[in-house]
Amino acid sequence: MPDIKVTPLGAGQDVGRSCILVSIGGKNIMLDCGMHMGYNDDRRFPDFSYITQNGRLTEFLDCVIISHFHLDHCGALPYMSEMVGYDGPIYMTHPTKAICPILLEDFRKITVDKKGETNFFTSQMIKDCMKKVVPLNLHQTVQVDEELEIKAYYAGHVLGAAMVQIKVGSESVVYTGDYNMTPDRHLGAAWIDKCRPDLLISESTYATTIRDSKRCRERDFLKKVHETVERGGKVLIPVFALGRAQELCILLETFWERMNLKAPIYFSTGLTEKANHYYKLFITWTNQKIRKTFVQRNMFEFKHIKAFDRSYADNPGPMVVFATPGMLHAGQSLLIFKKWAGNEKNMVIMPGYCVQGTVGHKILNGQKKLEMEGRATVIIGTLDVKLQVEYMSFSAHADAKGIMQLIRMAEPRNMLLVHGEAKKMEFLKDKIEQEFSISCYMPANGETTSIVTNPSVPVDISLNLLKREMALGGPLPDAKRPRTMHGTLIMKDNSLRLVSPEQALKELGLSEHQLRFTCRVQLHDPHSDNDTLGRIYTHLKSVLKTYSIQHVPDGTVIVESIVIKVTSSAEEPNLKVILLSWSYQDEELGSFLSTLLKKGLPS
Amino acid sequence: MDISSDESDDWFIESLNTYKDLHVFQLEHPTKVIEWTGDKNICVAGYTGSRSEILELLLPLKLYAGENQGLCAERDFKVQHGGFSEEPIESLIHISGTRCVVTSGSSSSTLQIWDIGGDDSDVIKRTGVINLKSTSVKGCKIAPGLTDEPAVLHGSCISEVQLTEIATGRVLYTVAKESSDSVSGLQFVNACVFLICASDGTLFMGDTRDPSTCHYPLEDSKSGLHWAFGLRSDSSQSEPSGCTVARLSSSGHMLLSDLRNLQSPFCQTQLNVQHDASKNDFLNVSWAPVLDRCLSVSGKKCSSPQPVFSHRGHEMSDEAKYSGSPPVVTTHSWHQSRPKTLLSAATDGSLHVWDWVDKITDR
Repeated sequence: MPDIKVTPLGAGQDVGRSCILVSIGGKNIMLDCGMHMGYNDDRRFPDFSYITQNGRLTEFLDCVIISHFHLDHCGALPYMSEMVGYDGPIYMTHPTKAICPILLEDFRKITVDKKGETNFFTSQMIKDCMKKVVPLNLHQTVQVDEELEIKAYYAGHVLGAAMVQIKVGSESVVYTGDYNMTPDRHLGAAWIDKCRPDLLISESTYATTIRDSKRCRERDFLKKVHETVERGGKVLIPVFALGRAQELCILLETFWERMNLKAPIYFSTGLTEKANHYYKLFITWTNQKIRKTFVQRNMFEFKHIKAFDRSYADNPGPMVVFATPGMLHAGQSLLIFKKWAGNEKNMVIMPGYCVQGTVGHKILNGQKKLEMEGRATVIIGTLDVKLQVEYMSFSAHADAKGIMQLIRMAEPRNMLLVHGEAKKMEFLKDKIEQEFSISCYMPANGETTSIVTNPSVPVDISLNLLKREMALGGPLPDAKRPRTMHGTLIMKDNSLRLVSPEQALKELGLSEHQLRFTCRVQLHDPHSDNDTLGRIYTHLKSVLKTYSIQHVPDGTVIVESIVIKVTSSAEEPNLKVILLSWSYQDEELGSFLSTLLKKGLPS
Repeated sequence: MDISSDESDDWFIESLNTYKDLHVFQLEHPTKVIEWTGDKNICVAGYTGSRSEILELLLPLKLYAGENQGLCAERDFKVQHGGFSEEPIESLIHISGTRCVVTSGSSSSTLQIWDIGGDDSDVIKRTGVINLKSTSVKGCKIAPGLTDEPAVLHGSCISEVQLTEIATGRVLYTVAKESSDSVSGLQFVNACVFLICASDGTLFMGDTRDPSTCHYPLEDSKSGLHWAFGLRSDSSQSEPSGCTVARLSSSGHMLLSDLRNLQSPFCQTQLNVQHDASKNDFLNVSWAPVLDRCLSVSGKKCSSPQPVFSHRGHEMSDEAKYSGSPPVVTTHSWHQSRPKTLLSAATDGSLHVWDWVDKITDR
């Protein structure tokens, strides 16, 4: 049976690393190649031994597709392509291609330089890996090879995130990556057309949650900033250059205006440079609607937000500063953090996930004393963390309701959820199965699920055959009702053709054989041969009312293709021998007639 | 009434001062029940449409993080268990000490018994039914028994109120009162004593050890009014003397009575409410479990006397802005241990968890 096979790769049941292998129509595709951020050993990489025990992956994979730049979706990519070995195409959207290498390099620096790990990819490997990337545009079909095509759809979530449709022949799969169904301030909601894929693959991480509204998250952010500033404290917000930072800036600007607040808000220069670059990317990526609302405010035309100078960090009084990098692992944000950490009136707001080994990660785990390193990883002192630490998650994810909305949009024939424990997902599975009457699968890591598909196979039909069918008469063909027809299917090269048997024989250079059956029925009849034949004719005419029966003067009765003759021997003139002969096509009728005549003629 | 963007934004900005915590959620289907099934768990259920979902939700962990609230980013509800009901759900009660809930649907002839389930499965399964004598459009009113053996007190009209043992279906007690008045609410005060409030405001007190039931009609009852009631016990399972009953009519008349003297209320007041005879479905009055002498009212717009706090979150939501009529709060519930935390649900599917600031005492 034709089927699609899906295997989520990786060890253990843990969530935290996306890498899914899909086999469809003879093609093998790897969806995402994430790193598990919780492990320090080989368990953080996906288990590629499923694909092959040794050697490179190039001949086993037709392509690799990366949905977005988060490390749990692309963190293991350089390892896979350069250390395990893969030279085929890697597909991702333009923004993902621009941002991925930066995050990977940051990640590499933290892991190798700070934590001293050895089995890790190098800067050169990241560069070599990115050379294999083929960028995708939204809604543009890309032919990976003659049979495999892919198309990217807008997923929301983060800049450049895409959902991907993979098609081979008439079978297709859609992989969602991470997406959200409620629009954000700077990102729209995910969208896909009614493409009716055989299978829709989605994460189930947030499937059993009901998300608190965006407004309440923003409220909490404003409340904390306001409280700190009111008591004379300073707020540090470490951010990645684009996206969330802009959103929070707009939020603060509106709030400051409304409440007539005077405390200064700063945007560090490192941010400005990077932001300009990404800003351009952003504009070409987003759709008309987002562009309109966003472009209206040029990033640096804020009334209350000014460029930061490092000397300002020592100024007395309240202030708010946005600085990079986002995980407090180096640079401007870490410098400011060191200055402000000792004062309990101050606050640091972490708006996202921090990789292990960074200061951000440590303080989010409640660590109150940090060892500060100098240039050569020499510890130069301890830092007391007295300021207030706030962890706020602004990332946009789909929840239970979102999954249902996406299924309603795409109308898949089957659903597959990865990264969930089956016993904790039974209700969602039942819900999906009941509401949409489709099957919902939930494989564990390393487990392969086979989804049987029912592909339609397009076949070219010859004009002659079509005309012949039409000439047979009867009611006009109804598109919805199947109709039996006779023809020969020729599968040659990559085409399928339906032609008449004669045509097929001609093409093969064979002559057509005709099969005829003959049967002799003995009958006692005192009439002459001709009269007996006449009596047979009359009898048949009364029984077979709808068939064409002819009495030909040369002494035969013909029913369709069946020829009936009567003979007798000179010795026994009353013993008639009825000879019936029919072609293979009329076998059924021929058998019927011979049985009928064996019963004798009515008197 | 159309809420403009500005008014909604104003409320939102103002909320920074008026609420300590505020969480706003959108359920797929609106609920008219919020029932506690644990310290951190509630059950909600759909009442619109022919098939409904029952969900057991875990409250956002951020609320429970205490001193470490800053380090906890978890603001969402988690769906821990879910099940499907063949009928819209009017009432849902939890039997304390078990994983069992009982539901009643509108125009249904049975009560449904469910097992919410444990760690091994997330599906809420139906385990049985209790057959009812008759059906009612508003559904049968139900209340959990307070004895060791799980039982449910139920009835849609006074004469049909009975106490049924859940495991066996055995009828343990029947109210011997020939009255066809419909039941607005009922509740056990302790293991044996229970109160019933009829739609017209009459109170009935019964004791499962005594076949007779006492009734206390209102002094001047006006027809066409619907009454809701809320019970507060100062200590459970003990003397019924420390129990206060609040009754609220659809015209805003509020009566407070002590269990020792149900005939004469010790306090009366008039709330200025929008009197709309057709919209009494969601009238709800309940006592704060921790705060002293504090009552909450929902389901009706009330302008005076000045309340200690008014939660306008439902009408100020983004969804409410675009709909024709403002949403009505279907039900609300106090948090069992946090003094000023409440949960409220509305007709538009919204579910809010909020912790209000008392301007006088919290500054």
